[in-house]
Amino acid sequence: MVWHIFKKDWKLAWVFVLVVAVVHWIDSAITYKIGLFDEDPMLAMLADAVPMLAFFASMFLIGAIVHLDSIPGVREDWLVRPISRWDLALEKFLFVVVMVNGPIFAAVLLQGLANRFSFRLSFAAAAWQVTFFLFAFTLPIFSFASVTRNLTQAFIFGCSCSFIILGFQTVAGYVNGRAHGTLESISWSGIGWVGETARFALSVAAAVVILRLQYFHRKTLLSRCLVLLFGVALLATQFIPWNVAFAIEQRLSPKPGAGMSTVFAFSPQLDKFRSPSGLRASSDQGRRYNLGEHMWVYLPLQVTRTQRDAFLLTDLVEVRLIGQGGKVAFHGRGESLEFKDDGTKNNSLYQGIQVPASVYREIKDGAVRAEVNYSLTLFGLKESYSIPALDGNERMPGFGWCETKLNEVETAVELRCMQPGKGPSCATLLLENETTGQRNPARSSCQGDYSPYSGWYFGDNMAHFGANVPFRDPSGLAKFPVDGPQLPNSRIVIRVYEPEDHFTRSLVIPEVKLKDWEAQ
Amino acid sequence: MIHVGNLWKKFGRFDALRGLSFDVPEGSAFALIGANGAGKTTTIKVLMNIIEATRGSATLLGVDSRKISPRELARIGYVSENQDMPSRLTVEEYVAYLRPFYSTWDRDLEASIARQLRLPLERKIGNLSHGMRMKMALMCALPYRPKLLILDEPFSGLDPLVRDEFMEGLLEQAGEMTILISSHELGEIDGVATHVAFLDEGKLLFQESMSDLTGRFREVRVTLEAEAAPPRQAPKEWMQIRTIGNVLTFVDTHFDENGLGELVRSRIAGVRGIDSQPMALRSIFTALARAARDGGA
Repeated sequence: MVWHIFKKDWKLAWVFVLVVAVVHWIDSAITYKIGLFDEDPMLAMLADAVPMLAFFASMFLIGAIVHLDSIPGVREDWLVRPISRWDLALEKFLFVVVMVNGPIFAAVLLQGLANRFSFRLSFAAAAWQVTFFLFAFTLPIFSFASVTRNLTQAFIFGCSCSFIILGFQTVAGYVNGRAHGTLESISWSGIGWVGETARFALSVAAAVVILRLQYFHRKTLLSRCLVLLFGVALLATQFIPWNVAFAIEQRLSPKPGAGMSTVFAFSPQLDKFRSPSGLRASSDQGRRYNLGEHMWVYLPLQVTRTQRDAFLLTDLVEVRLIGQGGKVAFHGRGESLEFKDDGTKNNSLYQGIQVPASVYREIKDGAVRAEVNYSLTLFGLKESYSIPALDGNERMPGFGWCETKLNEVETAVELRCMQPGKGPSCATLLLENETTGQRNPARSSCQGDYSPYSGWYFGDNMAHFGANVPFRDPSGLAKFPVDGPQLPNSRIVIRVYEPEDHFTRSLVIPEVKLKDWEAQ
Repeated sequence: MIHVGNLWKKFGRFDALRGLSFDVPEGSAFALIGANGAGKTTTIKVLMNIIEATRGSATLLGVDSRKISPRELARIGYVSENQDMPSRLTVEEYVAYLRPFYSTWDRDLEASIARQLRLPLERKIGNLSHGMRMKMALMCALPYRPKLLILDEPFSGLDPLVRDEFMEGLLEQAGEMTILISSHELGEIDGVATHVAFLDEGKLLFQESMSDLTGRFREVRVTLEAEAAPPRQAPKEWMQIRTIGNVLTFVDTHFDENGLGELVRSRIAGVRGIDSQPMALRSIFTALARAARDGGA
């Protein structure tokens, strides 16, 4: 009878299904039309709005499908008909998957093919996207809809849940802020996917339990309580301890032990950290000084025994400053660092620590014990590519489709790329004159996402990435070896790095006077 | 066919059913009567496993109502004024949707009922009037020849013409079906019901066959020689005792043709004549409802 009920639902919902499918397809068409450089402001605006519209339309469609034979309530005709509950549950699940996820699959597949990616790549990206969407969106919304009788009820219940989430997040944000970011540490980090996966697992478990309760026992009150309970559990996953999540990531290291020889050491013979000038690695960028009620301290470090052509990224820097008497004066997060052994002897870097001014005043003149715990990822060089600096258009197997062009003010080359599925984690880019062999300093672009899968709530399953590679400093302070006139003979060299090892290091400085390392 | 034992249903602190017990014999047309809010619809929804009882038991077709399966539902017809059917399907489409769920669905019977009820098959359910929707619900409940037909307030809001069409449609197909009908439209039930149960505030006041009920209720009119006054000690079986001039009237709930005269004369002096009339179900119901309201039932 599943097919029979399916046909009835199609008769009732086909208009809504088509409208939502068209919204997804329009979204895909816009993304395709935008291409690599989103230059059309109207399309760029639509590209922001339409995915959101598609998201909410899908949500309402799932609700509408479930409510065609809603579970709560006492007036529904199906309750008095000889319809097997199992048939009904299975039909609703299939209908939702086919009618909601089906058009998304088609959109992503067609977009991949339209962008001239292979069928295999496009199909894989589409399959990942709908699988992600199924677990992260469709199933949770399906189970949520099953505890409501109609869209009005779903909207009211949804708004109530949103207020609870907002309240929870506000309190959590405040508590986390008071703890200097040490509580909510895995969110927005490379290992954020561990929390995300835990959320998927919880969502699927919640969906199975709630759908079973609803379709086979019609326990709406209990199911609604479970929605709230699972919701709180989902929110709590953002507080998964860093050590637990990072231990999982360590176990998944592609080359365990590759970073074993890496050593971090305090290097007091180095000068105080000074304001950077010109171009340096991105770890030096964006440093701020004496920010309001905070003071910056920069501890000089030396990193030794890394591999050549390796790239080291800190995922978390946890700092404890312990005053006299063993009392922890400060516990917070240190500034993230990137380190690349480029073969020169300069293997120093500075660990920035933002200390609250009140704490700093108390301890700056005395000797404190500094404990810095690093969670690190070592990236190994995977592949190198190159593309003409001007008007390049290349399809690079394993990297994707890229184009280059000059930016409007003619200070940098814009490189934009697209690849079905997950993009590269980390890359360095540099301009190289093919004739002279001269090179500009490399710029790094690290996303630090170690997720083993790809998928997005909005839009396609295409990784869009790129960077601007400068060749002229409008202020005239910096001089680039490869500059504007050389661009026709130049190429952008792209070096792609992939994570090889995740490991931890502890740096303990028994005695340090913070005032000595205050930023200048 | 149906057995209800000590059924309780609470909605928050409100007891909708309070220890309800009754039996519906096979082949009977059992009327569940009571004022609005008496618990008729709640009882039926518990029987159909639409809502769960707080405690007690209910079985129909020999199966616990909580374990009622598609097999039993295929032998039960259900018509209710509170029945949501897909408003965007036409009558014909919905009937076609229901057909495969019932192995005993008779398409000729379906066509004949549709003709008899004069249903517009091509019209969308959402565009049907209330009366049309009730007739449609009946049409969806009869073509598979259910063993048990449950009608929950089927006459509510129907005009007399539609009521007649509905009743004709129902009676024509009733056959050996067991019918459970809840209503406060007693005029319609009067000619149909073989048994009746009276509910008040979730409790059963009585359950008996229609013939017994109409047999034991009489409106008695006693003409006296002088100005009538209510007897000092009236039997508890007498209800609604009233006096107008030299006439005293009451409802005798345990009418005994042979003993009435003697009983009246033993309680009232100066009796000139006694006349007793059978009562319509509506009058019996009204008398009982008033007595229940006044705490005397």
